[in-house]
Amino acid sequence: MPTENSIKIMPKAVVCEESNLRGDITFSAGCVVHPSATVIAEAGPIIIGENCILEEYTTIAHRLQAGASWNANNILSIGTHNVFEVGCTVEAARIGDKNVFESKCFVGPGVTVPSGCVVGAGIRMHTAQLLPENTIVYGQQALQREGIEKQSSQTLQIDFLRKVLPNYHHLRKPNHDPKKARSVV
Amino acid sequence: MSFMQPSPVKYACSCGILNPINKLFFCRHCPKLRCGYCVCTEIESHFCSNCLENIPSSEARHKKNCCANCFDCPCCQHTLSARAATVPVVRKSEETKEGESKESPAAAATPPATASSKPSAIPTTKKIYYLSCLSCRWTTRDVGIPDQGVASGTWPENECLYQARFNTLVDYYQSIVLQEKQEKLEFMRRKAPKQHKFPSLTDRTGLTVSLIRRQIGWHEKSIPKAKAISIPPAEATADVGGLPDDIFTEPLNLRNITTIAQRHGQPGDEPTAVSNLYPQRRSLWIKRSLRCRQCEHNLIKPEYHPTSIKYRIQLFASYHVPEVLMVRCEQPLQPGKANAILLKLSNPTMYDMTIRILSGLPPEEALISPEAFQQACKIKEEVVTSSPLVRGIGLTLSRQNSTREVKREVEDVSNAEIVPLESEFVLSQRDDSKEFDEDVQLPTEEPKFIVWRKGNKVLIRLQFTPADELPPSTDVMLGFFMQYTYVNTVSNASDKKEPTTHALHSRIFINAGAIEKAN
Repeated sequence: MPTENSIKIMPKAVVCEESNLRGDITFSAGCVVHPSATVIAEAGPIIIGENCILEEYTTIAHRLQAGASWNANNILSIGTHNVFEVGCTVEAARIGDKNVFESKCFVGPGVTVPSGCVVGAGIRMHTAQLLPENTIVYGQQALQREGIEKQSSQTLQIDFLRKVLPNYHHLRKPNHDPKKARSVV
Repeated sequence: MSFMQPSPVKYACSCGILNPINKLFFCRHCPKLRCGYCVCTEIESHFCSNCLENIPSSEARHKKNCCANCFDCPCCQHTLSARAATVPVVRKSEETKEGESKESPAAAATPPATASSKPSAIPTTKKIYYLSCLSCRWTTRDVGIPDQGVASGTWPENECLYQARFNTLVDYYQSIVLQEKQEKLEFMRRKAPKQHKFPSLTDRTGLTVSLIRRQIGWHEKSIPKAKAISIPPAEATADVGGLPDDIFTEPLNLRNITTIAQRHGQPGDEPTAVSNLYPQRRSLWIKRSLRCRQCEHNLIKPEYHPTSIKYRIQLFASYHVPEVLMVRCEQPLQPGKANAILLKLSNPTMYDMTIRILSGLPPEEALISPEAFQQACKIKEEVVTSSPLVRGIGLTLSRQNSTREVKREVEDVSNAEIVPLESEFVLSQRDDSKEFDEDVQLPTEEPKFIVWRKGNKVLIRLQFTPADELPPSTDVMLGFFMQYTYVNTVSNASDKKEPTTHALHSRIFINAGAIEKAN
C-alpha cells in the first residue's frame, strides 16, 4: 500500500471531510459520501462509479490477501447507482450497478455482486460466490429470490443529500476534472 | 435480575405446575395462585395489529378473521405497505376527446404524442398505489396485479380455483348441522311428552292435532323438514396427468419454487411457483380476558381499545404474593454440607404481612380434605356471567367440565433439607414514597436470620443442607412453604365490608445452582 493517499474526486461529487479514506480511491461524479464512512484501498485502487451513496458507518474495503502486496492493477471497481446503507461492510470482489446493501449487512471477500441485487439488512455473506443478477437476499435465513420489479432509482435522495450535506459538513474539494485533464493533454 | 433469564425461583400453582411468579395470576376470591393452564380464556376483542382497528366479533367471523385493509407479504410474511408512485396522464377531457375521434386502443397507446402535438393537452400526474414489502422487496407488480388509484380497499380478492366447490361444501355441511339439530329436537319432544295437569280429549280418543287438522281439511301444520342440499359427490380419479417431459432434463431453478412457509401462507391453492403468490389478508389478533376456572371471576380483563395496553382487571400474582428473589449461596454447594442461602423477600401489597418459612405443609391447611375442597369450588350457576360479546355470538363455553379437574399433587423436586426459620417475621407494607426517605431506621430487635431490612424488602438467611448422594453438577433444588398473611379487600359476602385477613401459603422451589465439582 502506498504511503500517500491518492484520492480523486470528480466534480459534483459530495465527499464529506469527516469520512475516513485510505489508499488510492476515485469517486466519480455525483457520489455522496456521508461523514464517518470508511473506504480502505489496501490491495489496489478502488473506483466508485457515478451516483453512489455511502451512508454513515459504511465500510468498503479492498483487503490484502495473505502474502499479497499492493498491486495497482488489482482494481476494485464499483458500478453506478449503488446504495450502501448505514453500517454495512462490503468487501466484495466486484460490484455492478444499481445494487442496494442494506443496513448492517456484511458482504465478504470473494462475493461478486452483479447488477440490481439487494443484500438485506443484517445478512452476512462469507462464502465466495457469484450472485445471479437481480437477486434479493432477505430474512433471517438469508433466502434468495429474484427481483422482477426494478429497484426504484435514488436520484431524488441523491439530489436532496447534495443540497443538504454542504450546509452542515465540510466537504473535500473536487480535485480531478476529466474534461480539464483532457484539454491539458 | 434479568427478564430474559429464567428465574431460579418457582412457585407451585394451585394446579401443581411450577412457574416463575411473573407467569402466575392470583385469584382474590378463591384465594389461590392460578397459572395459564388453570384459567379460562375468552376473546375480549378482535383487532388488526397493523392498522389497530377494532373489529366486532361478528364482522371478524364474516371476514374469516382477517383484516380488510392490511395484507401480508406472501413471500416473507411481513406486512405489506402501500407505496405511492406518480404517473403522467393526459387530462381526462382530452382523453375522452381522443377516444371519440380514434379507436380507443390507439388513444391509449399514444398519449405522449398527442400531448406534444396539442398544446392544450397539459400532461398532469396521477397518484397510483402498489403494495410493497419492506423486508424482501416483493411488490404487487411482481405478479402483475394492476396498480390502484386509491391506497386501500380496492385490492382484488384472490379467489382460488376451488372456491365455488368449497362454498357449496360449506353450505351442505351447514344444512346437515341444521337438519340434525332439528331431528334431535323432534326426538326429544316425542320422547318426553308434555305432562298436562288434566287429560285432554285427544289423549283419550287417540286423535292428534295433526289428525284433526287433516280431517278438517287444513294443511299440515308441522314445520317443513330441513332437507340437506344434495351436492355432487367428489369423484376420485386415477388420472393425475404425466410429468412434463423436461422435468429430468431441465435444471431446477429453486428461486422460482415456493418454500413450505409460502405454501402454507396461501392455503387456498398452495402454489408451487413464486409467480402465483398473491398478497394475503392479515390475520386478526385478539385481546384475551382470563377467568378463574373455579370461581368464574375475571383475573385479567384488558381495556377494549386496541391501542391501549392497560387492563381493567389485572390480578397478577406479583401484585399480591410476596416475591422471593435468590441473592446468593454463602458457600460453594457440596453434597451433604450445611450451607445457607440469602433470599430477598418483598411485599407488593398495601398491608403488612407476617411471613413464616416452613419445611412442611402448614398444619391447619391439612385439615381440608379434597372433597371439601372440590365442594367449595362448585360453581353456582348464576355466577356464570358470560360477557355480552360471548352471548351475542351464541357461544356457550362449557365451563362445567373444568371444575371436575382433579387437584394435582405438586411434584416434590427438592433435593436438599432446609432448616425452617424459628419464628415468623413481619414484612411491612409497600410505600413508594419510602424509597426516597433517608435511611433513619432505628436498630430494632430482629430475629437473627434477618440480614437486612428496608421498606417492604427484607433479606433473610435460610440454612439448608444438600442431600448426601448428589453427584457433581446436578442442580440443588430447595423446596419450602412460605406462609403469609394476605388482606383481602374484596369479600364474597356483600354484607361485611371490612377487609378480611387470610393466612395463605405457597410452595416455592429454588434452583440454588449446581453442585461443585470435586477437585
